Amino acid sequence: MSSEITMPDTRNTLVNLALFGLMVLILLTSLSTGTVQISLSDTVSAVVGNADPMTDFVVNELRLSRVVAGSLSGAALAMAGCLMQTLARNRLATPGIIGIDNAATAFAVASVVGVGLSLAPSAMALAGAAAATAIAFGLAGANGTRGYRFIVAGIGIGAIAGAVTQLMLSRVAIDTANAAYPWTVGSLNARDNRSVLILGIGVAAGYLILMCVTRALNTLQFSDAVAIALGTRLRAVRILGLGLSVMLTGLAVSVCGPVGLIALLAPELARALCRPGKIPLTAAALAGASFMLVADLLGRILLAPLEIPVGIITAIVGSPYLLWILLRPSPRSLT
Amino acid sequence: MVILASLLNGAGPVSAIDVMAALMGAGTGEAFFVVTELRLPRTIIALITGLALGLAGAILQSMTRNPLAEPGLLGVSAGSGFAVALAILWGASTATITTMVAQLGALAGCALVIAATRVQGLGNDPVRLVLAGATLSSLLMALTSMLMLMDQRAADEIRFWITGSVAGKSLSMLWATLPFILVGLALIGILARPLAAMALGEKAAVGLGHHPGRIRFLITVTVALLVGSATALAGPLIFVGLVVPFIARAFSGPDIRKTLWLCVPIGPAVVLGADVVSRLIATPSEMPLGVVTALIGAPVLLAIVRAGRMPSL
Repeated sequence: MSSEITMPDTRNTLVNLALFGLMVLILLTSLSTGTVQISLSDTVSAVVGNADPMTDFVVNELRLSRVVAGSLSGAALAMAGCLMQTLARNRLATPGIIGIDNAATAFAVASVVGVGLSLAPSAMALAGAAAATAIAFGLAGANGTRGYRFIVAGIGIGAIAGAVTQLMLSRVAIDTANAAYPWTVGSLNARDNRSVLILGIGVAAGYLILMCVTRALNTLQFSDAVAIALGTRLRAVRILGLGLSVMLTGLAVSVCGPVGLIALLAPELARALCRPGKIPLTAAALAGASFMLVADLLGRILLAPLEIPVGIITAIVGSPYLLWILLRPSPRSLT
Repeated sequence: MVILASLLNGAGPVSAIDVMAALMGAGTGEAFFVVTELRLPRTIIALITGLALGLAGAILQSMTRNPLAEPGLLGVSAGSGFAVALAILWGASTATITTMVAQLGALAGCALVIAATRVQGLGNDPVRLVLAGATLSSLLMALTSMLMLMDQRAADEIRFWITGSVAGKSLSMLWATLPFILVGLALIGILARPLAAMALGEKAAVGLGHHPGRIRFLITVTVALLVGSATALAGPLIFVGLVVPFIARAFSGPDIRKTLWLCVPIGPAVVLGADVVSRLIATPSEMPLGVVTALIGAPVLLAIVRAGRMPSL
């Protein structure tokens, strides 16, 4: 293991650089595309700070915050998914599938429609995510994050949380419900800048902490016995990883709502590209940001001037892939 | 008893004596209207829906040998929901068209589920089947949401319908679906014996002179008929097909025929009970019925998983 730290890993570095370049490209495309088309060179000059006021306004005032929110939440969801998959040793164990998204949404909607405590949506989403994870753990019993019981418990929790969300939306005035609707399916429209700021801090902090414990996380890919023999404090790492995963999911949901399947798809792609044996957190985060931006861009241009919420796009694109994983004959890495 | 509770309770106060009088054909004008025009159709529709969903769940679970195989969880309801949303969007309004469309959607969803169970290995793994169904449902629901975005007028109609409710549905809707439900019930009558044989294993069933392929096809049709009709009547109600056979099995043991008979009273009781709860819990307004069934059903799902006796059908 120690050789991995000292030896520079060319393949992973290349993959990360490529993904970063891709993300920047998508970012710029996303900034330049919309009701007003702006050429790429104008977009770049606007971001750098020398463009005519009109272009400057459209790019920096209207689109930039949306793009920042999208890439941050995409990265957060992808890292959370990657972490949870590693902890559970199950690629299906992503926050969306085990109901954390839905619970966070239910709590955040509660704060928006004014039920219960008057906390900020971010705080409520965090509380919801934590509560759902705790319940799923409690129900899964001694199995911890392993095994399918955890996942089915999560499906049940997700169903309850979804029902509660609908209940709250059905009890408020129709205007509030209509306003909250895109957010409950996942959209970048309803973000507020304070939540985005908190998410940014959360992503940065989470990433730094994770980079410090990469080695311990890598050992989790072996069996418990091997990981302990390699000097990993399993319990501490699990609690830390799960806590970070819950935090990232909760913060992302408070910005963009429950955008499903990015947490599943981005780590899959990162794992396929990177060298096996290490957990591709950086690549997953970059891929997650790219996925989110592409889905948002598609949602904005496909039916323009109508806008399709980004959560619907990811569901339509991602579900067939998930189905394929589930239904193909030989489930190699499902356990 | 639940029927009486359903007739007695509601947004407006109507005394028990007035209800009885109205049922007998007498009574004051207002009470008569509330009971016979508003509550009686609603009660009947809830009863029929519960019957259809409970039985459909029971036979689907028996055939897939999976206690978690629930039409709502597996995407059958979402399939018919999507189809109905399409129909509403294209301007369908008469009861018959919507019914037919819901049936077609349910049939497609059901066929997908059955095809999925035939995939190697999936039949032995209850949770993977459920996860696949949940994914299929979320895909169909995403497509439905997209349809809703494309037309605001249709969106209001679909959103009300999509949470599942038996309120404000007229009896003409019931007449339109009743033939399909009756055919479905008749098919169950025919299928009960072969299903019991299938429970012994496919080879044993062949040995007893049954044709598993034909039975599977008929079950698909039956489930689609029942779930499609129920969905057309009340919207997608998830978890009913899970809870009802679960309770029935607790009393009847593994015999599918006894289970089916027990589903006949339990299914209607569950849905009607949920409907009464949905009216009482948030008076003077109402809670969507689909929300109530989800709140009741999800803990049952968790209980089944927690019991850990999963592959024992």
